[in-house]
Parts: sequence; structure tokens; C-alpha cells
Amino acid sequence: MKAEWRLVRLLGVSAAALLWVVPFAWMAVASLRPGVPTDIASLTPAGPFGLDNFAMAWKSGDFPLWYLNTLAMCGGILAVQLVTISMAGYAFARLRFRGQELLFAAFLLQLLLIPPLLIVPNLAILVSLHLYDSLLGIMAPYFASAFGVFLMRQTFRAIPRDYEEAAMLEGASVAVLIRHVLLPLARPGLVAFAIVSLTAHWNEFLWPLMAVSSPRNQVLTVGLATFASGAEAGSAWGIVAAGTFMVAAPLLLMFLLFQRRFVSSFVFSGIK
Amino acid sequence: MNSITRRTALGAAIAVPAAAALARAAQAAAPTEIELFFPVPVQGMLANKMKELIDRFNSGHEGVKVTAVYTGSYDDTNLKTRAAIKAGKPPGAVIMSANFVREYVINDEVEPFDPIIEKAGGTAAAYIDAFWPALKPNAVIDGKVFGIPFQNSTPLLYYNVEAFTEAGLNPDRPPASWSEWITAAKALTKVSGGQTERWGLMFPATYDYCGWITSGLVMANGGQYFNHDYGGEVFYDAPSTLGALTLVDKMVNQFKVIPPGVSDANACTSAFFAGRTAMMVLSTGSLSFVRDNMKLAYKVAFLPRSVRNAVPIGGASLILPKGNTPERQAAAWTLITWLTSPEIAGEWSRFTGYFAPRKAAYDLPEMKKYLDDHPDAKVALDQLRYAVPWFDTYNTVAVRKAMEDQVQAILSAKVTPAEAIATAQKRADGLLRPYVEQTALKSLG
Repeated sequence: MKAEWRLVRLLGVSAAALLWVVPFAWMAVASLRPGVPTDIASLTPAGPFGLDNFAMAWKSGDFPLWYLNTLAMCGGILAVQLVTISMAGYAFARLRFRGQELLFAAFLLQLLLIPPLLIVPNLAILVSLHLYDSLLGIMAPYFASAFGVFLMRQTFRAIPRDYEEAAMLEGASVAVLIRHVLLPLARPGLVAFAIVSLTAHWNEFLWPLMAVSSPRNQVLTVGLATFASGAEAGSAWGIVAAGTFMVAAPLLLMFLLFQRRFVSSFVFSGIK
Repeated sequence: MNSITRRTALGAAIAVPAAAALARAAQAAAPTEIELFFPVPVQGMLANKMKELIDRFNSGHEGVKVTAVYTGSYDDTNLKTRAAIKAGKPPGAVIMSANFVREYVINDEVEPFDPIIEKAGGTAAAYIDAFWPALKPNAVIDGKVFGIPFQNSTPLLYYNVEAFTEAGLNPDRPPASWSEWITAAKALTKVSGGQTERWGLMFPATYDYCGWITSGLVMANGGQYFNHDYGGEVFYDAPSTLGALTLVDKMVNQFKVIPPGVSDANACTSAFFAGRTAMMVLSTGSLSFVRDNMKLAYKVAFLPRSVRNAVPIGGASLILPKGNTPERQAAAWTLITWLTSPEIAGEWSRFTGYFAPRKAAYDLPEMKKYLDDHPDAKVALDQLRYAVPWFDTYNTVAVRKAMEDQVQAILSAKVTPAEAIATAQKRADGLLRPYVEQTALKSLG
């Protein structure tokens, strides 16, 4: 009985994995086929294969600069977020102050706002701060994250108070407590948030398109679109696939690396 | 990138205004710097070509320095331009989808070109007469010039020559009327074992394209589709529209010569290149893309007629957003006159497939040679005689969608044409109401 269930589960997981992998497999196959083949939808074409599409895509834009800008943007956002969400998360989880519930509810309300609604007000603020058309300008609106604060609050709440009480008996200040006791224990939450944040900002198109104009500040998604999207004609799928592959590759790589980290952080944190 | 801390953020916030002040002091000697927002309407190397053109412009004009800023699709460009104007950072010039110009005028977000043209010693009327007449209604609004046409297109019928021969049709006599179109599409559709191997016809029915082609069918059916002179009226609930939607409905759901559901431009070209559709309706702006990638023999023809030959204009015009200083406006004007000059307009046309909006471009020897070498481009140019203005109303995108949603529902056999036009009209009227109440139905006291 148990073995049968395991088989069913294995089949289910395999099916889901297959669904997930097909687009990536197609992207990889299509990117290796030069020209505009007529059986472009095929996953197992006969060939010919080559790296022409990658060469074309690489030539179509300034990929090194785009990589650098995207890394700076995502890294910058995450670095600031990790500080703000742990501090705010701690405040909501452990401190008691007047209007706490109301403030927290107001924080969560942010999650309901659709981002395009804020484009014009955010741009106006950037212009008045002289951050329009800068990488810092793309990052600024994300320095605080309602989702992150929520996640960290829940994570801190799940940590037994015994750890903190033990530390306080030893004379630890709040700062020491957060840094040396709570944050290491909250690592799974931080890692989970980091993955969500990096993916979201790496893939984001509309806001970078709005906030930045100079080619020197361009990020990958907007750069990719310069040669991948066409309103009135069809696409050279091979080049689009190659470009998309180059944009997605670092993220895919990071996921493969992070996956282990993600799992192990659960094991070592002492929380199950 | 852990280096971006609060301190560096603070540092930047202080340093940037200081640098800006320095820049202002140095400006007297420096060239006027402006941005040109441009969408990439057709895929491929066009973004690079545009940057190359702008580099050439910059090296030939000392007083002006232009940065070409890629701004996504037509709709994204609209969004970014609008946001930049509202945030107080308007670009010097924008290549804007020609049917959005009216809305910028209604919202008072663009400058008319008339004063600049007059300052240069001409009249606005004479200036715009140098362009093809069909382009005028989308550029001249309420008697003033608000758009200078840059790249323009019409929908065109592309067809596979071998498929025509195989189906017993004469490839030199493409379908000219709707009844011939239906006959041809039926003959060209190849079904084997219950599976359609080759469709008779495909056209893109995603947003924007859908409305454009629908309006073309309505116009070919004798209709106006919308009030060309006033942004508050559309004629969705009209016999000419009903007839056009009935054609689509029959071709998809009764004759089964068009694949059901919504295809995008990529699906259409992929199917056309693979011989899986014998005909497709696509923009003349795709001529170069199709020419470069279609391995099978193909030809192009006018969009078939019902009552008359008629096609909507498409493409983009250069506009001058409000909020720029006179120096920046003058710099933008220098750029615009250069971009729309016969030589550059012709070069861009040969590179993309769009027709050059300025008539004089076709007097150039290289343009004559191009038309001789490429009969497909000649057909596209000839069809211009039958061009009518492009759909532009108050709240264009939403009003356009009111009809597009219904056409997409017909393609999926969810509504009948009669239901579709009634629903579309009702929704459009609701969307147009605020504007109508401020204009045509304004309270007279």
C-alpha cells in the first residue's frame, strides 16, 4: 500500500516536472537552430544546429552592461530589503506598541495595490529626488516590502522565545539579539524571501522601462525586448530563444545552487 | 552588490543635484540634449538600425545631441511617454502610434507643429501636403498639425504561390472580392483525416492588430467604422460592421478555412513560412521580414473588397510632447525634419518595408530601383490610394478593445455577429460618454 502511494506520488511529481521542463527544453532546442525553420515547434528536430542565434543575439545588444546593471539592481534591492524587512518584521512580531494591528493591516493593504497604478506617482517622486533615469531610481520603490515584512513577522513568531530569553539573561542587547540569535534562526525565511525578490526583480519589465531611459542604465528584460518583440511582424524564434536563454541562464544557475542551500538551511536552523 | 547601502544612497541623493547644477552651468556651451522615444514595431535589427541613424544625425548636427531610447511596444511607448510627461520629464520627441495622437491632443499633452513650421517660413498646410493625403486625418487634428508621419503601413494579403497552383487557382489573379476570397480560401484549405493540414487564411487577432484588421474589413464593406473627425463616436452597431463580422464568423465557424481561436502575428508568419496557411493578412510593415524569411514563392495583393477597396492606415508619427523648453523643441524639430526627409524616410522604408510617408521619397533613384526590384513593395504602395484614416477616438485603446473582445469571441464561436456588434456598441458608448458629455452633448445652459 505504502509502495503504491510512493509510485503514484513519483508519477505525479514527474508529470509536474515534465510540464515545467518542456518550455526550457524547447527554448534550448530552438536557440540552437539557425534561421527560421518551418518546424520550429518541434522538440526533436533533425538539425542543422549551430550557435548562430547566440552570436546574433549577443551582437543585438550590450549584454555585458545589461548583466551588470541587472545584478546591481537586484542585489541592491535585496541588500536594503533584508535590513528593512528584518527590522520591521521584528517590530511587528515582538514589540508591543499602540496601533500595532492597524499599522500592520495598513502594511498588508499595500499588497492589494496593482503596481501600474503607482507608476506616475513614483516617477514624480523620482524626478523630485533627482533619481529619474538611474539604477537607484529603479530600486528605490522596492526598498520596503510588505510581503517581506509579513514573511519575517511570521518567521520570527515561529521562533520559540526561549532562545531570546536565554540570550537576554546573558545580557544581550536588542541589536545583538536580532543579529546573533534571531536572524540566524530566521535564515529559511530570509532565503525564501531572497529567492522571491531576486526572481521578481530580475524578470520585471514595466517599471525599469518607465524609470530609466539612458542606454547605459538598461537592464536585461528591457534590452531583450528591443530585439525580441515586434508588434507588426512575426518573430525569428531562434534569436528570441537564444536571447531569452541568456537572460534566464544566471537565474536558472542560481536556482540550482540555491536549491541545496534552501533545503539545508531548514535542516541546520533547528526549526522544522 | 552589497555596496549599495543607505550611506551610498544618501550620498547619491546629495551628489546628484550638485552635479545637475554644475551641468546647468556648463550648458551654455554644450549641445541641447534630447531623447527620442521609439518603439520597435517590427522585430529584428530595427533597434540597431535606429541607433545607427541617430548616431549619423548626431555626428552631422553639432548643436543637438539625441539619445535614442527604446520604449517597448506601441502601447508601452504610449504608457512611458504619458508617465514621463506627467512626471515632468518629457522626451524631446516620440515616435508614437499614429492613432494615439488624437488622445494626446484631447488631453492637452502635445504641442502643435504650426508655430515652428511658420517660424521656419512655411505654412502648416503646405508642409503636411508633402505627405500622402491618407495620412492627414491622423496627423492634423482640429485644423492643427500634431503629428509628422514617419513610418506607415496598411494591411496586405500575402499568399503562397505554390498552394494557389496546387489548388487550381491562378496565382496571378489573387482574390479581389469577398466571394472570390471565400472560394479561394475553401479551395486552399487542405484537410486530411479530420486534421487541417493547411488553412485557407490566417490573420492576427491579438489586441491592436484585431481592431486594425476588423476596421479594414468594415471599411471594405463600405463602412466608416468610426467618426473620422470627432473622437466621441463609433459605428459598431451598423450594417457594414455586421457584414464584416459575418464574413469572419462564416470563414471560421461555418467554412472552417480560418483556424478557430486567437492567433498572434508570430503564429501567422510561422504558419505562412511553413506552408500551413495559404494566405495571411499582415501589415505592409512586415514586408522585409517576410521577404527575408519566406522560403516558398509568395506574392502580395490588395485586401479583398466587398463594396469598395479600402484599408486603414497604420504606423507611427513623430510628436512633440508638452513641457519642453523652446531650445529643446527646436532641437526636436531639427531631428524630426531630418528623420522625415525624403532620403532618410526612403532608407528606413527600404530597410523595414513600411512605406515612406513623404511623397518626394519616391522620386529618388534608389527608391525607384527598390520598387522595380520588389514588386511586393509596389503593390503595398499602390494600395495607398485606397487608404482611410486609422481608428482614433477618446480613450482609444479601451474603445478599440470593446470591439476586439467581441471579434475574439466570434473566433471562439462564443457569440453571434449580431450579438457582438450590439455588445461592442453598448460598451463603447459607455466608454465615450465622459468625452461626449463634455463636447457634443455639452450642456447649453
